[in-house]
Amino acid sequence: MDFVLSKEHEMARTLYREFAENEIKPLAQELDEQERFPTETVEKLRKYGFLGIPFPKEYGGQGCDTLSYAMCIEEVAKVCGTTSVVISGHTSLGAAPILKYGTPEQIQKYFVPLAKGEKLGAFALTEPNAGTDASMQQTKAVLEGDHYVLNGSKIFITNAGYADTYVIIAMTDKSKGTKGISAFIVEKDFPGFSVGKKEKKMGIRGSSTCELIFENCIVPKENLLGKEGKGFNLAMNTLDGGRIGIAAQALGLAEGAFEETVKYVKERKQFGKPIAKFQNTQFQLADMATKIKAAQLLVYRAAMAKDTQKVYSEEAAMAKLFAAEVAMEVTTKAVQLHGGYGYTREYPVERMMRDAKITEIYEGTSEVQRMVISSHELR
Amino acid sequence: MDIQEYKGIFVFVQQVDNKIASVSFELLGKAKELAKDMETEVTAVLLGYNVSGLCNDLARYGADKIIMVDNKALEVYATEPYTHSMCKIIEKYKPAVVLYGATAIGRDLAPRISARVKTGLTADCTKLEIADDGTKNLRMTRPAFGGNIMATILCPEHRPQMATVRPGVMQKIKPIEGATAPVDKFDIEIGPDHQNVEVLEVIKKVSNKMDIQDAKILVSGGRGMGCPENFKLLQDLADALGGTVSSSRACVDAGWVEKDIQVGQTGKTVRPNLYIACGISGAIQHLAGMEESDVIIAINKDESAPIFEVADYGIVGDVTKILPIFTEEVKKAMAARNNA
Ligand SMILES: Cc1cc2nc3c(=O)[nH]c(=O)nc-3n(C[C@H](O)[C@H](O)[C@H](O)COP(=O)(O)OP(=O)(O)OC[C@H]3O[C@@H](n4cnc5c(N)ncnc54)[C@H](O)[C@@H]3O)c2cc1C
Ligand SMILES: Cc1cc2nc3c(=O)[nH]c(=O)nc-3n(C[C@H](O)[C@H](O)[C@H](O)COP(=O)(O)OP(=O)(O)OC[C@H]3O[C@@H](n4cnc5c(N)ncnc54)[C@H](O)[C@@H]3O)c2cc1C
Repeated sequence: MDFVLSKEHEMARTLYREFAENEIKPLAQELDEQERFPTETVEKLRKYGFLGIPFPKEYGGQGCDTLSYAMCIEEVAKVCGTTSVVISGHTSLGAAPILKYGTPEQIQKYFVPLAKGEKLGAFALTEPNAGTDASMQQTKAVLEGDHYVLNGSKIFITNAGYADTYVIIAMTDKSKGTKGISAFIVEKDFPGFSVGKKEKKMGIRGSSTCELIFENCIVPKENLLGKEGKGFNLAMNTLDGGRIGIAAQALGLAEGAFEETVKYVKERKQFGKPIAKFQNTQFQLADMATKIKAAQLLVYRAAMAKDTQKVYSEEAAMAKLFAAEVAMEVTTKAVQLHGGYGYTREYPVERMMRDAKITEIYEGTSEVQRMVISSHELR
Repeated sequence: MDIQEYKGIFVFVQQVDNKIASVSFELLGKAKELAKDMETEVTAVLLGYNVSGLCNDLARYGADKIIMVDNKALEVYATEPYTHSMCKIIEKYKPAVVLYGATAIGRDLAPRISARVKTGLTADCTKLEIADDGTKNLRMTRPAFGGNIMATILCPEHRPQMATVRPGVMQKIKPIEGATAPVDKFDIEIGPDHQNVEVLEVIKKVSNKMDIQDAKILVSGGRGMGCPENFKLLQDLADALGGTVSSSRACVDAGWVEKDIQVGQTGKTVRPNLYIACGISGAIQHLAGMEESDVIIAINKDESAPIFEVADYGIVGDVTKILPIFTEEVKKAMAARNNA
């Protein structure tokens, strides 16, 4: 067992950090205030290959491993939660399932442009009546000759409106329950497909989260992703991978808030000395740092497990559960240690606290992670 | 009080602009049934100004007798002169039962009277019958706790026994052509003491801006309406039924309708007597705002839409084809009812 990162990983991290500091951090507050999608940043992400990190080079990716990808999300999330979720929504949710389940034609047509970052991806499972209980899919896909006709809607879809390629989960045979669910690749211009209203959110406000609407949407038969009836497995498997990305996001938010806090408590003086000199401050920081390191180990372990093991759902669930709760706790304490200033939007910690909350909810709530973990432990 | 002195069933006849409210005919019909069980007569109480022309209609719909107060002060409904007049009538004629429609007017008037004559009042009844235990008391049944329980209420020791009755619940009788009833004109002095409130103006407004939370009937459209123009179909049905148009969030988001008619978790919670969901899938956020409606009718082309799980009646089909037919049938039924 070796807890030292390889040279490649160290180098990759330095690159991600510099990019995040120089290109992403300056925009973070503005994106949040204006609830604006970072179009210009996405362009840069594409240019520097940030949208295809864990994908093979022969398909236009960067040929790195999941750990590098997690570190990228971590570094970006340290300075901007919004941008980190644009990357992970695209990579783990939008692109990864096409590589894993796609036919060679689908990979060429849809995956390669995603891995290269020429196109942006999204993934749509959630519906008004199917959130945690994803099996309650109401969107229908009916085969008519050479195409499927999709009807229904999805809610809370990350990157909606900005993505070019969507992986859509829909019911092909309701009588079969979860075995009647299938996945489809839908292009943004398919007839009958439209994007609804953008949600107004507490955090990650620059990321786009919208409803998707299918009204007799025509999807060519060859855009069925994987086999008919295998969509539920595909979705669950995709989420396992996605959870590593969200865990890394949570980790980054906690680290970012922690770094800001360390800086602040050294500067801010009360009672004639920096607040860092008060033992309460020190102990709070000690707890925060320890929890962050514990979360980091879980996140990295899950990333390694994905690269080396067949099954990694439990590792991914543990990493997401723990990192998200650490992010919530650490960002809350960070605001506290900033005092009244922490509550203002002049300082980034309140934004990080708002951004942290979503990591306990999306890609499966913390409760879902506990279900996954306990089901493995009780097996 | 000697309750034996009180006899007969009185129906307060609600008229506005010399037009009798449908509920008053319904009450005459019901009173006729009750009168049989009580072995007594039905008296219509008509208050207003220049209203003698309405007497024949009352007779045709079952009034055995009519008490009429014709007075300029009663031209427009106002609480005080009406209360005063009704109290005088009760004092003089001593009815055993007085029924009112549970309309805005009936609900305003009846409690005033009950407090003045010191008797019991049951509001918003849906069922009336005569006790067969020898007392011949009126058993008044009404939904309570938001319709979750039915309460049957008696007023055994005070007279008259009074109830307001929901419009639309009781049946009119088939009009008896050529029927007449003796009219007892009763002059009541209505002085300044009985008119502390002066009605300056009555504004009649087509109530399309009614708050959907107050509406008894909602015709609600979702994305399945297809386009904002099709909301006209909903309006037509709403007009025919005397209802109001509401919507799901999808149509608000699409800019088809105003936010103030959105039903649901982030819109308004409604509880009408009738909710007609047209082209609404029944997302949980929508259901949260309307599933307590008394009766839900769903029209949707997808037979597996979740709205059907809460609907009392469902039609699977194209809403743009069904609505015009539905509206026509409602118009016919309404016309038949008003002429019946
Ligand atoms: C900003 C944002 C972005 C998102 N992006 C995407 C996306 O790109 N693609 C996509 O498909 N979805 C996306 N989602 C949807 C997200 O994954 C769901 O919101 C999430 O899975 C929870 O579902 P729900 O909101 O319906 O909550 P519900 O399922 O209604 O849950 C409400 C609460 O009940 C708890 N609960 C439910 N069932 C149980 C149970 N059996 N035991 C214990 N507790 C339970 C939950 O844990 C939660 O606390 C996004 C959501 C948001 C807010
Ligand atoms: C935070 C949040 C809050 C929300 N709050 C609310 C709220 O307060 N109220 C609310 O309503 N929603 C709310 N929603 C939205 C909700 O999740 C659904 O998206 C919305 O209710 C769907 O509206 P709909 O039923 O009109 O559209 P859809 O779900 O698109 O359903 C349209 C239906 O019409 C049917 N249809 C289509 N064409 C025809 C036809 N020609 N004839 C007959 N049927 C047809 C289809 O079969 C389908 O069932 C909220 C969502 C979020 C994320």
